[in-house]
Amino acid sequence: MNDSGPYPGAMLSVAARQGRPRKGFLEEPPGRWPVPPPRVRRDQGTFAGYAVSLGLGAVVTVLGKAMFERGNITNIGLLYLIPVMLAATRYGMRTAVITSLACSLAYNFFFIPPLHTLTIQDPQNFITVLVLLGVAIVGSRLASRVRDQALLAQASAAQSSSLAGFARQLTGISAVDELSHLLCCEVSYLLECNTILVMADREQLTVRAAAPIAVRLEMLDEAAARWALDHDRPAGHGSDTLSAAEWLFYPVGSAGKTLAVFGLARSDARAAIRADQLPLLLSLLDQAGLALERIALEVEMSALDHVRERDRLRHALLSSVSHDLRTPLTTILGTLGAMHPTSAEQESQLAATRAAAERLHRFVANLLDMVRIEAGALDQKIEPVDLAEAVASAVHDLAPILHDRRVDTAIAHDLPFVLVDPQLFHHCLINLVENAAKYGGSDGAVIVRALREPTGLMLCVEDEGPGIPEEQQGRIFETFTRLEGSDRKGGTGLGLAIVKGFAEAMGLQVTATNRDDGQGASFRILFRSSQLRESPGE
Amino acid sequence: MTSTVTILIVDDEAAIRRLLHASLARASYRIVEAGSAREALAAVQIDKPEVVLLDLGLPDRDGLELIPVIKGAGPAVIVISARDATDQKVTALDLGADDYVAKPFDSEEVLARIRATLRHRLASETGIPVIRCGDVEIDLAARQVRKSGEEVHLTPKEYGLVAELAKSPGRVVTHSHLLRSIWGPGHESDVEYLRVAARGVRRKLEQDPAQPNLLRNEPGVGYRLMVSG
Repeated sequence: MNDSGPYPGAMLSVAARQGRPRKGFLEEPPGRWPVPPPRVRRDQGTFAGYAVSLGLGAVVTVLGKAMFERGNITNIGLLYLIPVMLAATRYGMRTAVITSLACSLAYNFFFIPPLHTLTIQDPQNFITVLVLLGVAIVGSRLASRVRDQALLAQASAAQSSSLAGFARQLTGISAVDELSHLLCCEVSYLLECNTILVMADREQLTVRAAAPIAVRLEMLDEAAARWALDHDRPAGHGSDTLSAAEWLFYPVGSAGKTLAVFGLARSDARAAIRADQLPLLLSLLDQAGLALERIALEVEMSALDHVRERDRLRHALLSSVSHDLRTPLTTILGTLGAMHPTSAEQESQLAATRAAAERLHRFVANLLDMVRIEAGALDQKIEPVDLAEAVASAVHDLAPILHDRRVDTAIAHDLPFVLVDPQLFHHCLINLVENAAKYGGSDGAVIVRALREPTGLMLCVEDEGPGIPEEQQGRIFETFTRLEGSDRKGGTGLGLAIVKGFAEAMGLQVTATNRDDGQGASFRILFRSSQLRESPGE
Repeated sequence: MTSTVTILIVDDEAAIRRLLHASLARASYRIVEAGSAREALAAVQIDKPEVVLLDLGLPDRDGLELIPVIKGAGPAVIVISARDATDQKVTALDLGADDYVAKPFDSEEVLARIRATLRHRLASETGIPVIRCGDVEIDLAARQVRKSGEEVHLTPKEYGLVAELAKSPGRVVTHSHLLRSIWGPGHESDVEYLRVAARGVRRKLEQDPAQPNLLRNEPGVGYRLMVSG
């Protein structure tokens, strides 16, 4: 391996995994084969095969000799079929042919006249020799085919068993690193080669596992890995692309999405994988791809569950707090409403208590709104809203607080609709109108105007009070800001912060300034033209 | 007539039940109370109330789940809830609730909602063809709207809006319901059609379109036709 530039991330993952025994990780089920099992080259014959076959030939000769001496049995030659068949079925063609030749010679020498010579006079005896040879060849052919099929069946059973074993191990895995390590060790063990698993992490290739763990990738290998990852096709050693690389990379993924690439290499520069091993490798990689996708989905799901649970808790908390605060308020306001004062003094006390309870009610509403803003729990449903209608609703809902304060609205009936969340916008308007009523002088009117602007539409909520000093105009929307030295009292300092919070959540801009046309503060909401919808005709 | 009307108050807070009980009793309704979903369902079966005032925050079940069950047994449902999220109101109405009142409520408001609901039940039985709202008369049989006795010309969609609301006078009707019944299925989210029609109706029927007393908007939920009496 080359030392030129260690692969980024490789050293880290290697270090993290050092000292993890390979065998302990790769628990081997009993009776599993390395697949496919090495084929025995039986055609050459073995010493034991020759010994058994020729020994049996000798035994047959001795037996035949004993029978031959009791009478002339011409078919004695058939006995020689036994050793020939045995050799053909058990020891392969070469042993069978040698045995058949030896048997022919023995038959000729011991049984065919002239006895004890190797000459053949009767042509009928040629047939015996030929039959023995024929049986040897055909028998050994048939036997070897049967044997091959058995071996094949055994190999595929072994493949299935290693696939099943691998699949079983995969199901228990829930971490990418563990899966990578298992895949590398498994393939390295089954195919007897070096393996590596590379994933792309934010455009950076990272080695997630390798077997043996010290392997490194060179520039060319990296390029091959990158190509395989990008094109979802094999690349590197022995493939069509970048075949000069030392490693051969296969994409790992599922449903057409490549999640990683798997590399193979041999230290002896032979082809990394034999053609007959390819189906096994591809099946293993398929399974690994599915497992990788499953793990990715699991991670995504658990993140989603987490967010959902947090949202649920937040909503539960808000609605419980809302319930707990509003229930006593409802009782107080309701009871006050049902009381019948019997004197002027009682009446004024009752009115004051009522006003205080109303203020508490508004404060609670604002407090809950503020919590929602700060928790980021604003669910928005943007829809076209008619400004005139929205202002009228806000003024209507404020009736208990406004008493007989005048609210003048100047909103043309042909203005475009504004795209806002109706509920959040309603709260903005309520707070702006309430603020104007509260700080706009003791009997000044509240003026709500909508103006077309070159860049969109502007809604102004104005009062006839003292206005806002210039240096405080920027700060007035901050939480709990109240104007210093003003006679403004009874405020919570939350209303305008809520206006700003809600408006910004809807992408609206709010500013605080003073009126151009007289004394008083002017709060302005600016709708850009993209937040307007021209009202369609019917 | 009202003496025979039974109203079931479902709220886990005894103080709220007492408060409602006092104001409803003054209007001479017969009152039944329940403090939990279980008690409420039993009371619906036994006392056969005409109207159920339902709090959504019950200790044993979410009040929203109760709406279809109670509606299935016959009575009208008015939701009284401290939850002010718009989608909760719309969900309650979509589940079949006849109306809702937000906490803290005004007792007069609750009584007005009950009257509107009862009127609606009566109207759907007898079919009252003329609805009066101040000086405006809506004659559903003649498909006519009159203001101070004179016929007002409305466009078909404007009339559709007024007529649909007049079928449930005083009760809130959701945007999606209005859009579906006036513009047809598939238009449930075309809120701007509704805004245009509402603008037209106000211009033609309201005394002061800037302070509507006839066609009231419930932000993000729907519209309500305010009726007199």
